[in-house]
Amino acid sequence: MRHHAGAMNRTWLIILGIVLLAAGAASILFSSGLMAQMTGGNLAGADDPVLSDGPGVLETLPASAVLIGGIILGLLGLWWILAEVPRRRAASSYRLHEDPARGITRCDPAVLAAAVEDDASSLPGVVSSWALLRGTAESPDLALRLTLNERADVQEALRRVRSDVLPNLSRALEVPLHTAGIALEVSGRPAQLGSTVESTGTVVY
Amino acid sequence: MTTMQVETARRPRRAVEDRGSTSMSRKVLEKIASQVARDETDAGGTTGGFLGIGSRADFSARPEASVELAGNIASLRVTVGLPYPVPLRQATHELRERIAGRVTELTGVQVRQVDITVAWLRPRPASSGRRNLL
Repeated sequence: MRHHAGAMNRTWLIILGIVLLAAGAASILFSSGLMAQMTGGNLAGADDPVLSDGPGVLETLPASAVLIGGIILGLLGLWWILAEVPRRRAASSYRLHEDPARGITRCDPAVLAAAVEDDASSLPGVVSSWALLRGTAESPDLALRLTLNERADVQEALRRVRSDVLPNLSRALEVPLHTAGIALEVSGRPAQLGSTVESTGTVVY
Repeated sequence: MTTMQVETARRPRRAVEDRGSTSMSRKVLEKIASQVARDETDAGGTTGGFLGIGSRADFSARPEASVELAGNIASLRVTVGLPYPVPLRQATHELRERIAGRVTELTGVQVRQVDITVAWLRPRPASSGRRNLL
């Protein structure tokens, strides 16, 4: 129902992994002395001690460069964290008719989603429903989550969704649905339909 | 010759433009547009609520309409509720034509654009809730 930043995570983790792998391999090569053997001992400063009394790495760099580098890394981290927030990606307003000479017809996808929810909630066995429309008015995508009562007939409910709820939406939009995703949940609460019954008792005057 | 004929003969008819003018408020057009939408189409409005909060959909309410006038040309904006499921493009096209035609017919103001916003969609109630008296 919600979009996660899965592809971006994988890309950046692969890049970070390659960088760290390269750094690890380099440190192993240097520490084991293989690098010195490969280069024939021609590395500059190979015999110097790693820690000396001279200025450290941070002290040789200007303070502003360290500061800017830190800020950039911090912003990148912040951007990555924000990108992790799951997004609904709901559609913006559907424009059903757009003719500047005659007028514009707008319909909010939430209005259609509420109608679909009402429609789905009236099916037997459905406790509650939640709908979200994405895409455009010409190729709408529907995500529908149904909560069914534990005694409900799941196949029957799905059949009714396919035969009533989805055709009603495509009839309203006058285009076939591009995709329709249905998620099912089961709940112990009683279904909405079935809370009232038509009385068939005899009226005695 | 009767008295009436004498009077008409004595007072010549004045030119049309000298007899006064009729001006209509914007609100008249708004009310006509929303009444036409309610009475002659399937559209409905909202009732109740305070400052737009807590209002509910009602097929027997007048939809909200606002009019912008530029001389003798009006552009309308209506917020309607429609029954579900109806083909929305078709229903709003009929609504647009109906409102534009009737407002022009009743007021003489040319309606150029009718922008329609669908605010809610409800299944049409099985009965209107009112009993028909035979």
